[in-house]
This record gives sequence, C-alpha cells and structure tokens, in this order.
Amino acid sequence: MTTAPADGAPEAGPLSGVRVLDLAQGIAGPYAAKWLGSLGADVIKVEPPSGDPARLAGPFPGDESDPEASGLYLYLNTSKRGITLDLDTGEGRGLLGELAAAADIVIESFAPGHLADRGLGYEALRERNPGLVLVSITPFGQSGPYAGMPADEITLYALSGHMWLTGDPYRPPLKNGGSQPSYQAGLNALAAAIIAYYGSLVGGEGTHVDLSAQETLAGMLELYGPFASQAGIDPKRRGNTVSAIYGTYQCADGYAGVYCLPRNYENMARAVGIPELLEPPFTDADERLRSNDVLEALLSGWFFQHSGREIFELGKSHRFPAGYVADVEDLLESEQLRERRFFAEDDHPRAGPIRFPAHLWLSSEHEWSTGRAPTLGQHTEEVLDELGVSAGRRGELRAAGAFGTGGAS
Amino acid sequence: MSPAGRPLDGIRIADLTAMWAGPYATMVLADFGADVIKVEAPGAWDNLRTLIRPPLARGEHWWNSNAYFQEYNRNKRSLTLDLTDERGKELFGRLVQQSDVVIENFRADVMDRLGIGPDWLREQREDIIVVGMASFGKTGPDASAMAYGPVVEQLSGLASLTGYGDGIPFKTGVSYGDPVAGVAAAAAVVTALIQRRRTGRGQVIDLAQREPMTTLIGEAFMEWAMNGRLVPHRGNESAEMAPHNAYACAGEDEWVAIAVRGDEEWAGLCEAMGSPDLIGDSRFRTARSRLEHRTEIDEAVGSWTAALTKQEAFERCREHGVPAGPVWTLPEVLGDPHLATRGYYETAEHADVGTWAMHGWLWRSTDAGPCILAPAPDLGNHNREILGGLLGASDDEIAALAASGVIGDAPLGERTRSEILGSRR
Repeated sequence: MTTAPADGAPEAGPLSGVRVLDLAQGIAGPYAAKWLGSLGADVIKVEPPSGDPARLAGPFPGDESDPEASGLYLYLNTSKRGITLDLDTGEGRGLLGELAAAADIVIESFAPGHLADRGLGYEALRERNPGLVLVSITPFGQSGPYAGMPADEITLYALSGHMWLTGDPYRPPLKNGGSQPSYQAGLNALAAAIIAYYGSLVGGEGTHVDLSAQETLAGMLELYGPFASQAGIDPKRRGNTVSAIYGTYQCADGYAGVYCLPRNYENMARAVGIPELLEPPFTDADERLRSNDVLEALLSGWFFQHSGREIFELGKSHRFPAGYVADVEDLLESEQLRERRFFAEDDHPRAGPIRFPAHLWLSSEHEWSTGRAPTLGQHTEEVLDELGVSAGRRGELRAAGAFGTGGAS
Repeated sequence: MSPAGRPLDGIRIADLTAMWAGPYATMVLADFGADVIKVEAPGAWDNLRTLIRPPLARGEHWWNSNAYFQEYNRNKRSLTLDLTDERGKELFGRLVQQSDVVIENFRADVMDRLGIGPDWLREQREDIIVVGMASFGKTGPDASAMAYGPVVEQLSGLASLTGYGDGIPFKTGVSYGDPVAGVAAAAAVVTALIQRRRTGRGQVIDLAQREPMTTLIGEAFMEWAMNGRLVPHRGNESAEMAPHNAYACAGEDEWVAIAVRGDEEWAGLCEAMGSPDLIGDSRFRTARSRLEHRTEIDEAVGSWTAALTKQEAFERCREHGVPAGPVWTLPEVLGDPHLATRGYYETAEHADVGTWAMHGWLWRSTDAGPCILAPAPDLGNHNREILGGLLGASDDEIAALAASGVIGDAPLGERTRSEILGSRR
C-alpha cells in the first residue's frame, strides 16, 4: 500500500535512517510520528499491552468494536512498526531504555513526570544518548499550575480563546469539528521534532521539547489575540459572516463562501454580474460597509441560484476567493486531489477498503510512503532481534511480563 | 537550546510570503534561529501592514506597528525590492545565492509571471530549497484558484463538520487554514534541509494549503469508507461523552466547557456539584446510560453552573479532577495564570506604540531563553545592511535604488498612502 513514485524521484524518504520511538497514544503524538514514518524514518510505536486507546475509538466497520479495525487508529499509525511493552515492569522499562539509547527522536504524551517516575525522564535518557530529541506533548505543558490537569478537546478549545471566537454571536460558543486541539498539537509536534532533530544533527546536542496544546492554539489567534493585547480590544465571535463580502451563504446545493479583501471586490462584482454592484455605494470600501445589509441581500439571492462548484469555478476564472463547503465525499471525488495523489488506499483485512489523506506537501525530491498500521505487538519479535536479545533472555522478559500477557510469543 | 544557539542558526530564508499563512511559517523558522529576510516592494508590501488603518494603527509610519503584522513577523529582517524592476530582480538573485530557502504564498502563477520561478531560482543557486504555498497547489485543475483561510477551511472538509446540529456549517473563528499550512511549511523546509545535508541537493516543495488541513479530519474519511456515512454536526456534544458541552454561567455570555470521559470523572463532577446522590442514580451510572440521558444531565449541570461564575465552576471541577475550561475571552487568555507562570507571553515593543504582551515560543526546549529577540521590522528597515553588507551594493547604488523607487521605507509615496487610507480596510 503506497502511492506510486513520480518519475525521476531519487529517493523515497528524506528522513531515512532516522530512528523514532513513538510512545504516544491517542491523536497528537501518533499524528506527528506517522508523518515521520511516511518521510522515511524508522518509527517504532510502543503500546502498552492493552493497546493504544485509539484502537477503541472507532469508527468501526458496521459499528462493531474491533481493536484491529479502528479507523482513528489505522489512520494515525501508518508507516510504523508496532511493539508492546509494559512500562510497569522493570524489564519493560529496561527495554525501553535500550530502544531510546538507539533512537534519534522519542515522542511521548504521558502526564508530566510519568516517564521520570519510571527512571526514563529526559535526564536519564540523555545520559545514554546525548543527541536524543525528546518531544513531550501534553494539554498544558510540563510545568505551571495546569500541568497534569485533565483536559478534553472542548476544554482546550475553551481555554485557548478559540471557542469564544467560533459560532453564532447569539448562540453559545461553538467547538469546531473533529479533534482539532489534538491534531494541532500533533502538527506542531511534527515541526518541533524535525527542527530539534536538525539542531541535534548540526550541533550534536539533543533537547527536550515541551509542547502544550493550549499554547500552540493560543499562538494562532489571528488578529484577535494580538489586538486584544496591543489595543485592549475584546473581540467576540462573529459567526460565518464578518461582512457581505467575507462570509458564507446558502447556495443552490449547500453552502458556499466568498471571502474577499477590498482589493478582490471588483473581480467578485464582475463575476456576480449584478450591475448595481459596480456602482456607488458599493464601489467604495467604506460606503460598502455602510450598505452591508443591502449588499448581503443581493448576494444571498445570487448565491441561492448557483451551485457551490459553479461559484468556486467563477472564483477561479475571475480571480476572487470563493469556495464551497466540501464534505469528505466531495474531497474523495475531487479531480484536483486525485491528480495530486493525495489519498492512499488500502484493502485492509479487518477494516475493508479505506482511503485517507496521505501527504502534507509534494516535493521534487521525495515521495511519501504509507505502510499499513501495525497490529498490536506485530513487530515485537523483529525489534527484539534487532536489539540482539537472546532467546534465553527473551523467555525471561516474557515471563516477567515485559510485553504483557499476550505480547511476544 | 539557549538563546545564543538556536537550531536553525546560519540558515537564511528569502521570504516572499505575505498575509498570515506564509508569515506564520517563517515566524516559526525565525523563532528557531533562521535569518529570515522578508522581501517586500515599495508598491507591493505585505498587506497585513495596511489591513489595519489609523487610528487603530498608530504612529507616523503606521504601517509598521499594528499588532497583527507584528505578532507573526517578529525576529525577521525587512528588505524592499521591486521585483518587476530588472535591478530589483538582479539583487533578488544575489540574495538567493546567499540563501538556503526561498518561500512564497502567492497565487500559483505569480512567481512565473515575475520571472522568478523554480528554474530561475535554481540558476541563481543550484541547491536552493523552493517552497510554494498556493492554496490548492501548483498543479491540477484547481491550481489557479485563490483563497484565504476560510475558503481553505471550507474546501478542506472541516467546515462540513462544524455546526450546531441544524445543518448550517460554521467556520472556525480564526482563518484556521493559515497557521496549519504555516506549521506544515516550516516542517517541509527543515525536512528539505535534512535531506540536503545528505544528498547535497535542493528541492521544490509544492504545499497546497488545503492539504495539511484535510489531514486533520482523518477519522471522517474512515467513517465514510467503513460505513458510508458523513460525520454529522454535533454542536458542542460528543458521540461518546455526556456531559460534554458549554454550560452557561452567571453573567452575560459566560460559559464553561465540561467533558466527562468516564465513571470516575462523573463521580467527581457529582461531588463538585454537591450532588453525590447522582453518582448512584441508575440513569447515569454508565457512559452509555449517560449518553441516553444527555438532556437530563445537561439540565442538571447547567442549573449548577448558572449560579456560578465560569472561574468558580472551573475551579470546582479542577478540585475534583474533572476536565473543564472556562470559555476565555481573548483578554482572559492573555491573563490566564497558567500561561503567565510558564512565561508564555513576552514583551513586544515598538517605538510608535510602546509595549504589549505577545506570545513567545509555540513550543520550547526546557532551557530556552526568551523567544522574541527583535520586533517585526519596519518596512525597508534593513535595506542598507543587507544590500550593502550581504549583497555588496555600494552607497551610490543604494542611493540610486532609493531614488528610483526600487527600494523604499514607505508604501509608495504620500499620494498612494492617502489612497490607502481612503479605500482600504
């Protein structure tokens, strides 16, 4: 299961030779590690014997729970090898120490202090491996009054200012779709790991990256955060429509949007083709705002007569920013994404045929590989072989429960 | 990593980006030590400089100081060059020779129209890393479409997942696609630097802003593949958890978000509410039964929070180990005691506006010093040191460039400036 290499692409993975340990579970860490794997790194995912909780999250084919067919798990753990280790046993911790000694990057998302309490904190790992990059992902970071405080997507969205800004001003603040705070932490963790690894490669010194989901979110408050600070302004959520030319409208087959800056207005007005739009008061940016309701009514009528795709095509031909609310089916059928080979496919033995996003960017020098997510403990023996663990020691480790009760056989 | 030694020290970025997505990428790179040279033209400056006008934008040179521009352009240097002028283009070529990376977020055709596409850039420097961030990419039938963050969000699938449950899709409060693309682009740049160390070769990166956004909703694709279903809008509810909502608190438009993931947290919430009798209530005993009785639960929690401030409700939940978060307004985010303890906000300073708090490290090494070493640059502020020092231009040449408007330190002339004041918002 992999996307076909482009003609002349010289190598599969820019991170080939980089060794990564993914100790994280759920969304954020696994998301970061999966892309490191797609970029060629050798990623070993270490699960507790009970498995990553993402295995229980679904979606499942036919809604029947199956830890080897969870959509969330299968998406977030591509291009990794999988082993189980019980870190509550001394033997499990010992093996993890050996793996970390040979790794370039370790990603973890335990509560602050969890690894240190087990003798596997950054200082201990660094002693054996000075170049190691440890990326710790938590909701609130390793220090401070909220460190270790339980969190969920919605509480992080609330505590970062984003929830206040999202939704209708006359209704409650709204969480956006999916699990964005975790994904956001994961995307930032990917950049953090790559940047810190580069620093280690050049300078020989590793580092411990402390990544807080709240902080990554609070650093992307567009103009609202900066102006609240510099000008003492207290902005509030404004729904979908900031002004008539910067908003979402119902269209003939769903919802579409036009999000224009003043400099895009004229192109939009020509495309819409209502003659009044090219006359005063609408031709002046300030006058236009004073007549915003009239303009909004005119545009509402126009949107309603056109499909989302038509509006998007008009934006392309007339050069103004317009789009439509695409769902996943629209995206899977998108000619644009097909041509860019954005989706990977797999006919998974337990989950059936699946298609999902498979790259972050395209490069003239590398491809993205997409290996099927590992079953629980699938590569435990293989990794033990590579560590040079003898058959005798393997038996002792197993007896001590290092892999859990059902791990390595 | 000490402030004296940042991982990208010695890397130079010729930065043609503007607005939010591209500058967010180069903010990350600059924060981590790259020498980011922001290239604008006296007639084509970063629109964020003038998106905010006086009186909100202050100072005689008001295009330099607004908070939106400042936040995402700190730690960079500014060079003006009119790239449509042959002298400007030639100097840009010299800059490329001294740079590791050229990055831009123009519409897909603009670099070629300027005559500075990847082939020309590679002629200047063979191992250059070129990053383009067109909204939908540089190839394919939609390459020519232009978009800002909300359109990217609509066409990424995320908007289809956000809403109150009445069928109307909602946008995220910010132009969410921009920083997502920006962080991905920063990762792309450093991935290419790592590859170049091994192969000696540069590369051309085509990052479609829409694509990293779409990777943030992976499970919705799985639901479609496995069950042929679209994930519905759930408002603030969850398919797995109850309670899971924003609850109104005392005061106007005051809310606290509360989520209960398991029986232990449910018991904690019942204690926090002073209703331990609810713990044993058979309607609420398991996660499944709580979901079935979601409405009663929301009523019970809502009537408890209604008598409290959001801070009080948050504190009581905290004391009992229940995930909760007050829906902070933006001044409240800035005043969040946890962020303050962690030193998240640093002091930004500009001569025309004084000082204000600005977020520092997006993530940090535990021994990192301050993130912000320099404010966002005034337009053309580093012309002399870059043209004279790095690119070897003489004083006479620099004077001639200024006289003919190839470089400058203000958006065109006075006349144009009054036009900006009159027509832009």
